Amino acid sequence: MRARRAPLAFGGLFGAVVVLCLLAPVYAHDIAHTGPDDNHITETIRVGGKTEEVVSPTGVPIGPTWHSRFFLGADANGRDVAVRLLYGGRNSLEIGLIATLITMILAVLIGTFAGYLGGVADGVLSRLLDVIWAFPPVLLGVALGVALAVGGGLDLGVVEISSGSLLLPAAIIGVVCMPYVARPLRGQVLSLRRREFVDAARVQGHGHLRILASELLPNLTSTIVVFVPLMLAGAILLEAALSYLGAGVQDPNPSWGTMLEEGIRLTPGAIHLVLAPGLMLVAAVLGVNVFADGLRDELDPRA
Amino acid sequence: MNKRSRPFGLFLPLALTLSLGLAACGSSSNSGSATNASNVGGVTASSPTVTVLMGTAPDSLDPALGVSTQSYEATWLAYTGLVTYAHASGTAGTQLIPGLAQSLPAISAGGTTYTFTLRKGLVYSNGQPVKASDFAYTLQRAIKLGWGNKQFLTGYIAGAEAFDAGKAKSISGITADDATGVITVKLTAPFGPFLNVLAFPAAGLVPSGTPYKPLPNDPPPGVGPYTITNVVPNQSYTMAGNPHWAGEAIPGIPGGHARIDVKIVSDNQSEAEQVLNNSADVFDWSDAVPGTLLPQINSQAASRYTQEPTVSTEFFFLNTATKPFNNQLVREAVNYALDRRALARLDGGMLTPACYLLPIGMPGHPSGPCPYGDPNEPATAANTAKAKELITQSGLVGTSVAVWSESHPPHKEYADYYASVLNSIGLKATVKIVAAAQYPATVGNIKNVNPQTGWISWSQDFPNPIDFYQLLNAESINPTENHNLSQVNDPHIQSELKTLSIVPSSQLSSVVGRWQALDEYTAQKAYIAVLGYDEAPKFTSARIDFAALVFHPVYGNDWSTLAVK
Repeated sequence: MRARRAPLAFGGLFGAVVVLCLLAPVYAHDIAHTGPDDNHITETIRVGGKTEEVVSPTGVPIGPTWHSRFFLGADANGRDVAVRLLYGGRNSLEIGLIATLITMILAVLIGTFAGYLGGVADGVLSRLLDVIWAFPPVLLGVALGVALAVGGGLDLGVVEISSGSLLLPAAIIGVVCMPYVARPLRGQVLSLRRREFVDAARVQGHGHLRILASELLPNLTSTIVVFVPLMLAGAILLEAALSYLGAGVQDPNPSWGTMLEEGIRLTPGAIHLVLAPGLMLVAAVLGVNVFADGLRDELDPRA
Repeated sequence: MNKRSRPFGLFLPLALTLSLGLAACGSSSNSGSATNASNVGGVTASSPTVTVLMGTAPDSLDPALGVSTQSYEATWLAYTGLVTYAHASGTAGTQLIPGLAQSLPAISAGGTTYTFTLRKGLVYSNGQPVKASDFAYTLQRAIKLGWGNKQFLTGYIAGAEAFDAGKAKSISGITADDATGVITVKLTAPFGPFLNVLAFPAAGLVPSGTPYKPLPNDPPPGVGPYTITNVVPNQSYTMAGNPHWAGEAIPGIPGGHARIDVKIVSDNQSEAEQVLNNSADVFDWSDAVPGTLLPQINSQAASRYTQEPTVSTEFFFLNTATKPFNNQLVREAVNYALDRRALARLDGGMLTPACYLLPIGMPGHPSGPCPYGDPNEPATAANTAKAKELITQSGLVGTSVAVWSESHPPHKEYADYYASVLNSIGLKATVKIVAAAQYPATVGNIKNVNPQTGWISWSQDFPNPIDFYQLLNAESINPTENHNLSQVNDPHIQSELKTLSIVPSSQLSSVVGRWQALDEYTAQKAYIAVLGYDEAPKFTSARIDFAALVFHPVYGNDWSTLAVK
């Protein structure tokens, strides 16, 4: 029982981060009284009875005040770091969740069809996965992110995503990560399709789709469930990396990655600008990862 | 277009300087008796090495292609033209002096024929003799390679346009006699700043036969105190001494005191820290010192740090060819809403808030109040209300606007601030950030990008306001490499430029009033939203002779004056 407490605790940590981020509008409106993109460069605030400039004439932002306004300080543009941290978390989590969803849907479809159909279909789908897998995720993500963000977005006819939309980095991450789930699933299906219960279903005259849905997918459930939190953690990290490199969330929209990128320029003079998003990122990813480990142990004790 | 980089060309200060240049150089015909013998010797194998850090790589080290400040800093010391600038700080540095020519040219009465005589005995850095005919070849190569300012050649030199179009094998307006060294240049119309065009490093002579292909990684031989070697693209290069320079004896051009290793450091913080702790020697003037380091610099390195005024303007272009900035009310609203003090803080206090295109120090800079309120005061609630009202009047509330800028600080921060201002007055702004090296080409591409608005800066190329007005000249609008980013095509501006462009720089004082009126007209029409005028950091390590380092008004830190104590 002791061993299960840690994953649950870290799952709780992740849950706390999620709840905090969901409360961003409330914090911004009722406590900090500012939005995530509101600039206060030339304003002053009262801190400890003294009047201080939010951004000094030489461009140095104020540090944490530990009060309602600028609780975690300001950035170079005089924006409230705490507010941006929570809104940035919402964006990071939203992208992570959507990317994970895209990854899982594509991976399940491609992995199961490739493994079940075999032959030419398997060859084509596997080579498609190989092509994506051939590129390091960050490199491919940056290439796609920069091209699509600067180029005006993604227009596939039926699907159109503007360059500033959060769906764009989510879609990129979802596709880039897909082979890392699809390949193991394909391998598992390759093994399962020769099992007796699949032959039995075939002999009973069940069609391919029914066999996939009623015989194979249930056997993949535990694998899929374990992959979801792992991919979520990976997607959040990849989003941060892409945003840090300018290929993820686009300015002035905040994310933990963009906040790190903006803050690194002002360190060590304004170290709070990297500590705040860095710690949140660690908390979120650590929470999901440890929770995923515990989940895997629970669902597949032999792993 | 990173800070102070010049996306476009520059031109010419005036013929002017004639007398000044002559006086500075002594008798041009007996150049050996120069009053300034600083070129004697030059950099040798035993000279010390200094390290210059640069935040942005030069756009090209081939003189026929480079147009950024980072490029000019190097190429003007390796490619001397028939004329060049005096190696001096302040106004003295804007004066033209003879370079490879024996003297400043004789100019015909109509201002359309320039006659030079090449100095005798000149050789390139590879030992090859310099010929008069190399001058025409050099300009032809720049045109063929698509030098960013080639319009100053094709637009004025007789036959240059036909050569550019492939209708002629050479530029008919240039004749040269290799035996006598006489070079004659004929213009299609008088152009006041033409001599400044010839002072560009692109007009610095290279040998005939130099390939008609870009040579950024292996720059061709030139004539100057330095040669550019060991180029590692986007990482480093070396300014080594020209082994033949000691014998050139060109007055007014220092021979240099040190070999220079240039390293590209994209992180300004690291760049400044290395100079502060003396592990590198020079912080590039085009980069911004992080505000967080200024207290430390002021306390530990005050004797080797100054903020030098530059003749440069930072502004947001407003594309008058597309919504919503094709509406003057929207452009005025932007000018009302901007708090230029805030922008100055984003630049670490190195920006003087202003509203006119022509900066302080440039003839024609208006002295009257700004039409949109005092730029040194915070934007008032009344200003913001006025801006919102103007947007409402325009009927363009909610119009989407993409704000372009580059990744180098503080330009990204400018864009974030600007977008928040646009959102606050009723537009719907997003930000597009492009890597610094790709930014000029991206925003200058009307064909595929056609940006609505964004940041840009312009530094003086020569002390003539027509330099800055290339940015609003309809003739500068091009499908790619566009210079007139606001795409202004105003008949009044065109008419004034037509008249003012033929006034030699030496006679600028006679038309200062017209330039002031034109700049006030431009501000009233709100074709751009000026942020202010830049200051630049002059910052070196402790081992550099700080006082001896010349901060040149056109090219910034003059590396030929870099000396170790």
